[in-house]
Amino acid sequence: MSEQDKTRQTAGGRLGGAAGPGGAISRRGFLRRLGAIGAGAAVFSTAICQRARAQYGAAAPDGPTLEQLTAMYTDMLKIRMWETKIKDLILGGGFRGVAHLYVGEEAIAVGVCHALRRDDYIASTHRGHGHLIAKGGDLGRMLAEITHKATGYCKGYGGSLHITDVSLGILGMNGIVGASHLFAAGAAYGIKVKGTDQVAVSFGGDGSIQGNFFSSAANSAAAWKLPWIGVIENNGYQIWVRAADVYGIVDLAQRAQGYGIEGRVVDGNDVLAVHNVARYAVAKARAGGGPTIIECKTYRWYDHYGAGGAKIGADGAFGLGYRSDRELRDWMAKDPIPRFRAFLVAEKVLAEQRADQIAAEVRQAVEDAAAFAKGQPLPKPEDGLMNVFAQGAVALRAG
Amino acid sequence: MAKSMTYAILEAIQGEMRRDKLLTLLYEYQKPVAGGEKGAINLEAEFGRWRVRFCAIDEQWIVGGALGMSMIGVPAIAHIPSMTTFIPYELMFNHAGKLRHMTGGQAAFPMVLWADMAGRIPLQGAQHADAGLESSYARLAGLKVVIPSNPYDAKGLLIAAIRDVDPVIFCQYPVPASGQPVPDEPYVVPIGEAAVRTEGGDLTIVGYAPQTVEIAKAVAELKKEGITAEFIDPRTLAPLDGVMQTILKSVSKTGRLLTSDDGSYSFSNCTEIVARVAEALPGTRIKRLAFPDAPAPGAPEMLSYMRVDAARIAAAARKLVKG
Ligand SMILES: Cc1ncc(C[n+]2csc(CCOP(=O)(O)OP(=O)(O)O)c2C)c(N)n1
Repeated sequence: MSEQDKTRQTAGGRLGGAAGPGGAISRRGFLRRLGAIGAGAAVFSTAICQRARAQYGAAAPDGPTLEQLTAMYTDMLKIRMWETKIKDLILGGGFRGVAHLYVGEEAIAVGVCHALRRDDYIASTHRGHGHLIAKGGDLGRMLAEITHKATGYCKGYGGSLHITDVSLGILGMNGIVGASHLFAAGAAYGIKVKGTDQVAVSFGGDGSIQGNFFSSAANSAAAWKLPWIGVIENNGYQIWVRAADVYGIVDLAQRAQGYGIEGRVVDGNDVLAVHNVARYAVAKARAGGGPTIIECKTYRWYDHYGAGGAKIGADGAFGLGYRSDRELRDWMAKDPIPRFRAFLVAEKVLAEQRADQIAAEVRQAVEDAAAFAKGQPLPKPEDGLMNVFAQGAVALRAG
Repeated sequence: MAKSMTYAILEAIQGEMRRDKLLTLLYEYQKPVAGGEKGAINLEAEFGRWRVRFCAIDEQWIVGGALGMSMIGVPAIAHIPSMTTFIPYELMFNHAGKLRHMTGGQAAFPMVLWADMAGRIPLQGAQHADAGLESSYARLAGLKVVIPSNPYDAKGLLIAAIRDVDPVIFCQYPVPASGQPVPDEPYVVPIGEAAVRTEGGDLTIVGYAPQTVEIAKAVAELKKEGITAEFIDPRTLAPLDGVMQTILKSVSKTGRLLTSDDGSYSFSNCTEIVARVAEALPGTRIKRLAFPDAPAPGAPEMLSYMRVDAARIAAAARKLVKG
């Protein structure tokens, strides 16, 4: 894939790939700018960030600050290490929960969520741990929820597929494929009614665009220019079914054209490429320019569900039958995290030493989260009758 | 080794696909492949991808496509996963169930909706641990609903469903291999006939699918105490008239009815059975056990507190008989 191709528009896109009025910039320009920020400067200086802001102006919402770049790197590591811990816990046996691991796809959640404000909304999927972490979810409370503890995000009712922190603008993970798109588009409509400049983003896999949820979301968002961003995480598989065997197109963002929406295809393993398009789409949506559909090409390192084919202390799930080990290895070579780290180091945003230090801190945070979750109490059995309605409990009918 | 539920189901489809060269299966990701003592079954390998088609995540297509092809005389089986039970609801209630009647008998849908049902499984969360949804289909006009509790019934009921010229919903809950051995040859378990699992005189217990495991344990426990229960598995939920004959015959002997359900309490199939017994046999002592009118929580301690189990069935039975 050529550099320019990293964020190319689809046949359906209406705007050019170069900078639009909303502040979209080409990847090359973005890199140049980042390079200019970092070059020859002391890396941790806030003065650099201030100079950068002064240089590009508050009106151009285009470049992430150095702190943001560091935070993005940190969040990618958080997702990677937290989920890898869960994989190891599952393989260790007796794990009180389930998981659809996101490892390998971190650049998408982080690239998109770091283009959002805290009061923007996201709607997530069964493979949504990464989205929540990138939106600010607490590692300990998430792990407590996955293991159905009373102090987890959903008090143990929900578990892995349903973690939610409403206070962070998270409309929930969701076990029904495609539903996320509809809820985010509905939220985007609500934003219009309220008259705020928030945006609503939905994540969904390549499998999520075929049921009618997606098409209802996209059509309404297009018709009324809703501040909706539909992110398609195309990892090539729907459980074991290859997307290529059930779709008549390769670039799924091409569907955008049929709704009258701008569609973009982006390398989902390049966090800056994702972030760049997301920033563009968010700025456009805030300014009343309507929805964008962003397809991110990526790959999941583990099986659809659980830890089959994986080993404790080793990355990736091999020997899965429906995909080749070679395909997995090729994608692992495109690991978004070392790639971003190398960029940050080369651009002098981060020193090697600081990058190592961040990794050590995140590793510790993950261990702390696991210890926290382990020590949390179990739910009370009778609480199952609560929270059906806002008030009261329903009757037990088993005796 | 006994044939598993999945093996029995695939063996039924295999036999019918060999017999009827048009019969077609549409499915999503649940591969129609199973291993067994008699050798593996792999429907796609045997019949080719046109007749055994995996599809996008698109239950509307799977069910709607099956309806459309069955309308032109290509009988079809539509297999959908458990968390999507109601996605094709509109198609089934407004089209499959109505068109024969609306067209004065012309239109026919020789199709089977093979609907997976999750049951009350822990650590999943409410969208993946539902039960009792079959009653929402059973209340619709023009649809038949069958619900096997063991591999023998699964094979026989599915063959009956495939051969039926009307649309049938075949509900597959996860149940262990129990009951009669499954013959290799095709056979039919007729739609509309209940099975008496154990005979007894003190009370009648009715339940199906995963609840049959709990009921069987309770019946054995009660027997030790000298209480004999007649345990009836309806097997068909719609149409119910034939099933009711068996249940009414039993209740007129025992005078007591206990129903046990994994579905939620209100508007369930067992509710319908209770209503019909109350209407036909006034004075019957009745008790309904069910899941509360609540979604199923993921935490196992909450879930098992809410679910009907063998101990609760036995306790309710004692109370009905002695109290
Ligand atoms: C409507 C619906 N149909 C089927 C399923 C079962 N299911 C869960 S995840 C999944 C595959 C999803 O694939 P994709 O959307 O590409 O996301 P990925 O898992 O690859 O991230 C399926 C079929 C479901 N949860 N919801």
